[in-house]
Amino acid sequence: MRRLNFRRSGALVGLAIASVAALTACGTAGGGSGGGASGAPTDELGDYEDAVSILAWPGYVEDGSNDPDVDWVTPFEEETGCQVTAKYYGTSDEALSLMKSGGYDVVAASGDLTLRLVAGDLVQPVNTDLIPNYENVYDFLKDKSWNSVDGQPYGVPHGYGANLLMYNTDVVQPAPTSWDVVFDRAAEFSGKVTAYDSPIYIADAAVYLMAHKPELGIENPYALDETQLAAAVDLLKAQRQHIGEYWGDYLKEIQAFESGTSVVGTTWQVIQNSITTGNTEVVLPEEGATGWSDTWMIASDAEAPNCAYAWLNYIASPEANAAATQYFGEAPSSQEACEFRDDCEAYHAGDAEYAEQIWYWSTPIAECLDGRTDVQCTDYSQWTAAWQEIKG
Amino acid sequence: MSATTSTRRHSVSAFLFEHARLRLALLLTAPLFWLGLVYIVALAALLVTAFWTVDSFTGEVRIEWTLDNIVTVLTASVYQSVTLRTVGIALLVTVIDILLALPIAFFMAKVAGPRLQRALVIAVLTPLWASYLVKAYSWRTVLSPEGLFAWLVEPIGGSSPGYGIPATVITLSYLWLPYVILPIYAGLERVPDSLLDASSDLGAKPWRTVRSVVLPLLYPAVIAGSIFSFSLTLGDYIAVSIVGGANQMLGNLVYTNVGTANNLPLAAAAALIPIAIIMVYLAAVRRTGALDNL
Amino acid sequence: MSAPAISLRGLRKEFGSVTAVDGVDLDIAQGEFFSMLGPSGSGKTTVLRLIAGFEQPTAGTIELFGEDVTSTAPFDRDVNTVFQDYALFPHLSVLENVAYGLRVRGMGKRERAERAREALEGVRLGGYGDRRPSALSGGQRQRVALARATVLRPKVLLLDEPLGALDLKLREQMQVELKQLQRSLGITFIFVTHDQEEALTLSDRVAVFNDGRIEQLGTPAEIYERPQSRFVATFVGTSNVLEGAVAAQLLGVPGTFALRPERITLADAPTGRDRAASGTIAEVVYLGTGRRIIVDLDAGLQLTVLEHTLGRDAASDAALRGTRVVAEWSDRDLVALDAAVPVTP
Repeated sequence: MRRLNFRRSGALVGLAIASVAALTACGTAGGGSGGGASGAPTDELGDYEDAVSILAWPGYVEDGSNDPDVDWVTPFEEETGCQVTAKYYGTSDEALSLMKSGGYDVVAASGDLTLRLVAGDLVQPVNTDLIPNYENVYDFLKDKSWNSVDGQPYGVPHGYGANLLMYNTDVVQPAPTSWDVVFDRAAEFSGKVTAYDSPIYIADAAVYLMAHKPELGIENPYALDETQLAAAVDLLKAQRQHIGEYWGDYLKEIQAFESGTSVVGTTWQVIQNSITTGNTEVVLPEEGATGWSDTWMIASDAEAPNCAYAWLNYIASPEANAAATQYFGEAPSSQEACEFRDDCEAYHAGDAEYAEQIWYWSTPIAECLDGRTDVQCTDYSQWTAAWQEIKG
Repeated sequence: MSATTSTRRHSVSAFLFEHARLRLALLLTAPLFWLGLVYIVALAALLVTAFWTVDSFTGEVRIEWTLDNIVTVLTASVYQSVTLRTVGIALLVTVIDILLALPIAFFMAKVAGPRLQRALVIAVLTPLWASYLVKAYSWRTVLSPEGLFAWLVEPIGGSSPGYGIPATVITLSYLWLPYVILPIYAGLERVPDSLLDASSDLGAKPWRTVRSVVLPLLYPAVIAGSIFSFSLTLGDYIAVSIVGGANQMLGNLVYTNVGTANNLPLAAAAALIPIAIIMVYLAAVRRTGALDNL
Repeated sequence: MSAPAISLRGLRKEFGSVTAVDGVDLDIAQGEFFSMLGPSGSGKTTVLRLIAGFEQPTAGTIELFGEDVTSTAPFDRDVNTVFQDYALFPHLSVLENVAYGLRVRGMGKRERAERAREALEGVRLGGYGDRRPSALSGGQRQRVALARATVLRPKVLLLDEPLGALDLKLREQMQVELKQLQRSLGITFIFVTHDQEEALTLSDRVAVFNDGRIEQLGTPAEIYERPQSRFVATFVGTSNVLEGAVAAQLLGVPGTFALRPERITLADAPTGRDRAASGTIAEVVYLGTGRRIIVDLDAGLQLTVLEHTLGRDAASDAALRGTRVVAEWSDRDLVALDAAVPVTP
């Protein structure tokens, strides 16, 4: 009954996407077939505006107010005269709502958000000729499905990293090397397991299933047909029994690990960096991990496009990019940035092969991302419904 | 100059005095407009949105009539179980709040002296001055494994309930308690002391007096208080996301549907559940006649 | 002789720094209609509430039929109360109100309905059982309150200003009914009122309260005819108080004396009664059954005189103002208020 219901709504959603795609295609003059309606990117820049409003992940726009030594916003402000206002978001979904409400010039978007922003005509194509530092960006980050449409870049890569496994060293012994501590072995830490509170977390289960249930034939954790999604959902429902709480707010996870409410679960490097109790450790498990490759994008209705371009160029500069990505705990976007960091090794920066092992967040869509054409994949709205059902 | 203005003013008031209907119309236009716009139109808009659809990829709402959202909300097991859980929590919070509020309100209204009474009213109101989030996060700290609660009950062999439904019930009960105490207190204030004396005089022991006189007279006030705690709990999603562990309530489904899924129509359909429940609740209350005395 | 219905000894009640009842000793006989009369704040209602058990005395004892009930809860005392505001339960019907006491005593549904109906018929409200108290008039509520208190057949019925809220006509009618009820039940009524006429007409005995104490205790006639203090003399009915230099001049005796207005006669010239004093009429108030005349005595006292004059022409009253008159009275009408020597003619 439930399944039938999903299939019906899935079909409806597919239909909806098709019709919207048709609509946008009709309305687009020169842009790519799936591109936004805003047409060709800007050819030239004008004078800087007074201010620029940035929507980003926590830790991406530091002006020294959290830690006086962590400040890469002030030099930008001094250099350009663009006063930066930053707003942080907790999940990509929250960012989408905020972008729809308008008022932001620049957004740092992960791969599970970028295409939704493009499709919603919320961001504009970017002319990389106007961004000198774009040249230095690793080639393996350029022209990816999550930052470009038909070869047209929609932003500048920022940094990338993996969703790591965090554990409390007092409780989880020996040190885990596999995600099984949050899946098949979750019962051992029942009530103290945590997970990221977003439908995109289904991909983490899919990554685990890729290694432990090859018979499912998952090629890409963001391209799940209904059977594969059902398997991931079953795994997550079993995990749900042992979840203490889900986290969407990174401050909540910091508090949960510090107080011992959570002892094992997904995390970001920046959370590990923020925990002061010293009894937590992070690891990239053997199955690989999901991860993110973030892109700085410019809102289609940006009030300060010149400042926005300036910020995209600035944050791609080796020094600023090194500072921002080091603070967040991710690999920088260019080899030059590594000269300002001493930990590039740890993040395998520039290691294209390693970077390929991370399953960067992408928005699941009906057209399978792994190239399969014989089935229809589950899209994000189905993932959302599934996620609600998993949480129960 | 001033004479003219004052004459004019007088003639305006005289005119209004003679035209009572116009006076009433002028007086009521603003509040009625507000009522109409905020209550009726907003509710109607919500209701209507529930029958629209959304483009799942871009999140754009499209005016395309469908019953799918309603069907989903009514048939999907997640909505059923979450609704049951939410109603259960709301009932539990309401019962706990009433049980706590009755003796507190009784003490305030009928036992405490005037000075103590004033102090108690202020004490009950004080938490309302603090931010909801501060209070909810305080409970998160209190209920953490090494928090105040654990410290208090550990000597007697207890432990913190941790984050979950019990913590949610505790936190929501705390948050809504003033809203339940105040109407009951006001209701008790309206019960003349002589009725309590009369009951006792006629041979009723205190508990009997409470059961046969105080509670029946307080019924409308208790219902009013319960409407607060019940409906506020039905709509809450913050407390459960702070202290509720992995659990979600109806409010979270609405929130996820708006925030995560960008599916405003489905969110609207989900939001109809608490509205429908409250309607049923009010209808049930109405049948008992409690609303007649409000 | 059996024990008194009520026996109060050294009864005191303080509310904070206020002493409401300041040492009351009182015995009330079985079957007596006893009134406690006094101005508001005199402590009479507090004494009633102490007897009912709603308040705990600060000191002293309360006995009911020889049994100490000082610390017994109200629901265990064999007394019932009719409240000033009737205190009918608004959520119960009239019948349920009357049956309430029977219900809490565990009487069966049918039997208590039967008894309550009888009690309602006893106060002539037979057909009103299904109504809510709010649908009744003041007098009807009053009678429901009476039925509710008497249906339990208490040995003592306490009535706290039960007629205060009624209009004059109804009050007079209810006074008669109360008296009849008390006779037919044969139980002790303790009646609190600030209306001296009510107290005098209904009671076997009256206690006049002032400042938390009993000022005077006696039969209505004793209280009215022989007030023992200035307070009683002026609170119960109206009295002219002759004292100091005025008393010395008019009576030839220093002291304080009360003189009821109706004991004084006015004439154009002395007629030979014991005492005479001349003066001028200052005011004439027409009362229907008579008239009240204020006379400014030459001795410097304003005297109130009550004349029962039937068939007089009211219009001529105004013309009397300013007329010289002689006020006369008998020595036996004078009441010494300070235990002074009797007046000798």
